[in-house]
Amino acid sequence: MMFTTKMKYVTAVVLDKDVEAVTRELLSDGVLHFVNITEVSSGLKNKVSSVTPHISLTRIAELKKRIESFLNMIGILPEKEKALDISQLSTVDLEQSEKEIDKLSGAVQGIRNRQKSVQQEILKLEDIKRQIELFGDIRSSLKARSHFSFLNVQTGIIPETRLEDFNTEFKALPSVVLNFHTEHGQSSVLLITMKRDDGRVNTLLAKYGWVDAEIDQEMDGMKENVVSDLDSKLKNYSKEQQDLHDESFKLIKEKSNILQSLWANLRMNELYYKIQSYFSKTSRTVIFSGWLPAGKVAALEKGIEKATQGICYMEWSNPEKLEKEEKIKVKVPVQLKNPKFLAPFQMLVKNYAIPEYGTIDPTPFVAVAYLIMFGLMFGDAGHGLVLFCIGLLGMIFFKNISRNTYNLLKLISYCGVSAIGAGVLFGSYFGMEWLPPLWFNYHAVVLGHVPDNNMIHDIYGILLITLYFGIGVIFVGLILNWVNLVRQKKWLRLFLDKTGLLGGWVYGGGIYIGYYFMTQNGKLPDDTILLLLAFIPMLLFLLKPVLSFFIKKSETHHSQFTVFTLIDFFMEWIVGLLEVFGGYLANTLSFMRVAGLGIAHASLMVAFFQIAEMTKSPIFSLVVLIFGNILVIALEGLSAGIQSLRLNYYEFFSKYFSGTGEAYTPVSLSTSQD
Amino acid sequence: MAGPLGKYAFIAAKLRTRLSKILDADFLERLIRAHSLVEAIQLLRDTDFSQVDVIYEKTGDLKMGELELFKQEVELFEEVIRYVSGDVADLCQALLMRYEIDNLKNILRLWFDRVVRKRGIEEASSYIYREKIIHDIHVEQLLNAEDIENLPEILHDTPYGLLVLENSEQIKLKNSLFSLEIALDKYYYKQLLQRVSLLSAGDAGIANRLIGVEIDMLNINWIVRYKTLYNLSLEDTFSYIIPFGHSLNQEMLGAAFKSEDVTDIISDFVKKKYANLSPLLKVQGAEVPSRLVLIERLLEEIMKYEVQRVLMGNPFTIGIILAYFVLKKWEIKKVMTILNAKLYGIDAERIKDSL
Repeated sequence: MMFTTKMKYVTAVVLDKDVEAVTRELLSDGVLHFVNITEVSSGLKNKVSSVTPHISLTRIAELKKRIESFLNMIGILPEKEKALDISQLSTVDLEQSEKEIDKLSGAVQGIRNRQKSVQQEILKLEDIKRQIELFGDIRSSLKARSHFSFLNVQTGIIPETRLEDFNTEFKALPSVVLNFHTEHGQSSVLLITMKRDDGRVNTLLAKYGWVDAEIDQEMDGMKENVVSDLDSKLKNYSKEQQDLHDESFKLIKEKSNILQSLWANLRMNELYYKIQSYFSKTSRTVIFSGWLPAGKVAALEKGIEKATQGICYMEWSNPEKLEKEEKIKVKVPVQLKNPKFLAPFQMLVKNYAIPEYGTIDPTPFVAVAYLIMFGLMFGDAGHGLVLFCIGLLGMIFFKNISRNTYNLLKLISYCGVSAIGAGVLFGSYFGMEWLPPLWFNYHAVVLGHVPDNNMIHDIYGILLITLYFGIGVIFVGLILNWVNLVRQKKWLRLFLDKTGLLGGWVYGGGIYIGYYFMTQNGKLPDDTILLLLAFIPMLLFLLKPVLSFFIKKSETHHSQFTVFTLIDFFMEWIVGLLEVFGGYLANTLSFMRVAGLGIAHASLMVAFFQIAEMTKSPIFSLVVLIFGNILVIALEGLSAGIQSLRLNYYEFFSKYFSGTGEAYTPVSLSTSQD
Repeated sequence: MAGPLGKYAFIAAKLRTRLSKILDADFLERLIRAHSLVEAIQLLRDTDFSQVDVIYEKTGDLKMGELELFKQEVELFEEVIRYVSGDVADLCQALLMRYEIDNLKNILRLWFDRVVRKRGIEEASSYIYREKIIHDIHVEQLLNAEDIENLPEILHDTPYGLLVLENSEQIKLKNSLFSLEIALDKYYYKQLLQRVSLLSAGDAGIANRLIGVEIDMLNINWIVRYKTLYNLSLEDTFSYIIPFGHSLNQEMLGAAFKSEDVTDIISDFVKKKYANLSPLLKVQGAEVPSRLVLIERLLEEIMKYEVQRVLMGNPFTIGIILAYFVLKKWEIKKVMTILNAKLYGIDAERIKDSL
């Protein structure tokens, strides 16, 4: 937890015949971060060849994506379903699998084509409806048929006994058939059809003995009947379309288990061949290498020995030994291993960068710093409770979310707890003082009505708290940097870097001088102290460029000492000093934003309370307060979260975090897809 | 009056975010390689084209999806207009006219098919956009009009009625809507450039450049087509050309027309102004369609270059709005080309050639 996990490097040689068993074992264990052996031992380049997979990884990936797209249609994300099971790994027949997917695709396409046919009918009916609605009542349209360019509107008589069959036949066409009168065995019918269907319509009319006739009946309301008939048909077609849609859904659902199994097998094959892509081979052996956490060595060794029945050779090295033997700088992958409850902060660290191997893992420090900063900026117990509930309920009720989203919700709940703590310290509960503060009354300080027994009397007091906090954070950062430099044996940087011991000396000296200046009415400390705390360290900064030059000269024998070298020393010294003084001052003052946001939080609540008091209605007053609280939680919550992150990333990390590490990414069954 | 920052800060941030979502070449490649239309549309699920997926899943009708995209584009313009004001809003309004005119052209083509060519249009008419874009256009009345004389009357509330009236004789004479469509395009660019002239000097410069390149693209495309496919004379051709191009003046267009190989003229122009695009000139065939494809590709690359120039420059100018709509229009065109190709079972290589 304090430092990055210790890693070990393994080089293994196994027999060609055991390669399948070994690959399965490696995939099942899932602990090895593979490295191509020729990258580390360049002498082997001409002695080994790479292992070519028997199967196209591109085809596997493509087939997987096709399956994913079908499963996504029914809301299944295969990568989120049950975990992969190595015992289910089998050779995949790509041809056969592709045929199966093509068959499914064809079936779904067939349904879509049928949906399209239904859609065409819907569009035709909608067109009829548009025409009818546009051109007023039916009676006038009978007389002015030319307006209905697409439509044929006609009235006539057919025998009553044939009306039902007549209706059934016309259901197959986009049409409106309205019977509004029956007399002496003859039904009077209004028929509206598309002109393009004239051929079929005339055939049907002839079949049913249609006779054109003027209808003298009352036709008021006929338009509404026509529209109603159309709506009914449209509803039926829409249902048909929905049924077809459901049919496609059902079709995929029925295949979902097979698809998921196929996907899982493809994924495992993909990982299997990915592992083998790191193998190198000779005529009868296979060699592979990689990194793994030191704690996993025994398990992997046991697994490989079991898979090869003891016929294998494994050599273990630590990074230092490896660098010495191979005479190269090795890039050791970094695993951050923290307890689950620190996962959100580990996410924040990884979002920034991966720390260098062997250095301090910033996660626990970020956790403490972030939560304190957030609490100081968002100090209200009531608001904190809301945040806590949001985070907690989100984690409980949202199931299919990504790990990052889950961690974000967890972070929100932690921030809520921090805000509750701060709220209790400052005596703030939804902007009200329900209980006396355990530390000092924040609101009273902001409002200027400070009780005598309050520990802080004015806003400057709050600013000072945050300044002290900032100084503390920066010093912690410096100490962490010194620890890292000691572990890495970078002595020159440890002593002379701006974030080294000399930088800390200057920073500490500067703080003391500044404190003295402020508390002694603008006086500076005496000369001895100034010499010790300021001038000597400033002069010592000149040592860095000088020593760096001579060290480089002794190593490379290339650098020439000239007049320009002296100028370089001087410039580097001056720029270094400016960076130190300017940078440290800016970084320290930056923490005043914590006070600023905290004051803003309190001020906003005060403002909303004042607005609420100005309203005459108690209900409206309550509405204002509720709205105000929601706004403050949202705005201030977002600001405080972002500013805390910024202070960590910039002011804190810049002191010790190099971020040049490479993440530890073993190939395992739980490896996420790219 | 607000300065550039006040005018464009919000809309630039909004459109830049949208620009980051524009589908890249890798995604389009995946779309092209999809095994079927169903699978291709599925890929669009988590993109700005998700509505196409929703509608296709519901109706099985790709054209409905296309109509929905058209609607989305119009709504996007309307949204942008809400966020800007004054001369910038007026320019956006003029840009919106492009959609109205394209829609009107479709309506008039359908009318022409029905009345003059006596073809059925019931199926196609369902895919006309019927909502108001800028002016109230009575779509049903236009589609149902019995005679060309009815059209100006139906469009009398819009600026297009007069254009139809002026071109009625030509339409009857040539039995073609060609002259009217050119008139509509000229009207559009005239309106657009009028609004551009009211912008600030900086904005006007950018807008004139981008719109001028677009006009150059149209003109050179038409010159090749008029000469080689329609055998028009130089005079007739010039009557159809849109003025106010950026780089191709009348002299150059005349030389292009007279030249045996139009690509020679384009080559000189490209080598002078866009030297980095010269490698594209090496790839060309002898046939007219091949040369046309080359020219269209070249012009598209030129437009891309100009758009990239705008995007890399000062973010607080009209350029961001214009660049966004050019890139969005291309994106939609590419996606719909691919999807329609999938619908008709065209293979991946042919699809790529046509893009």
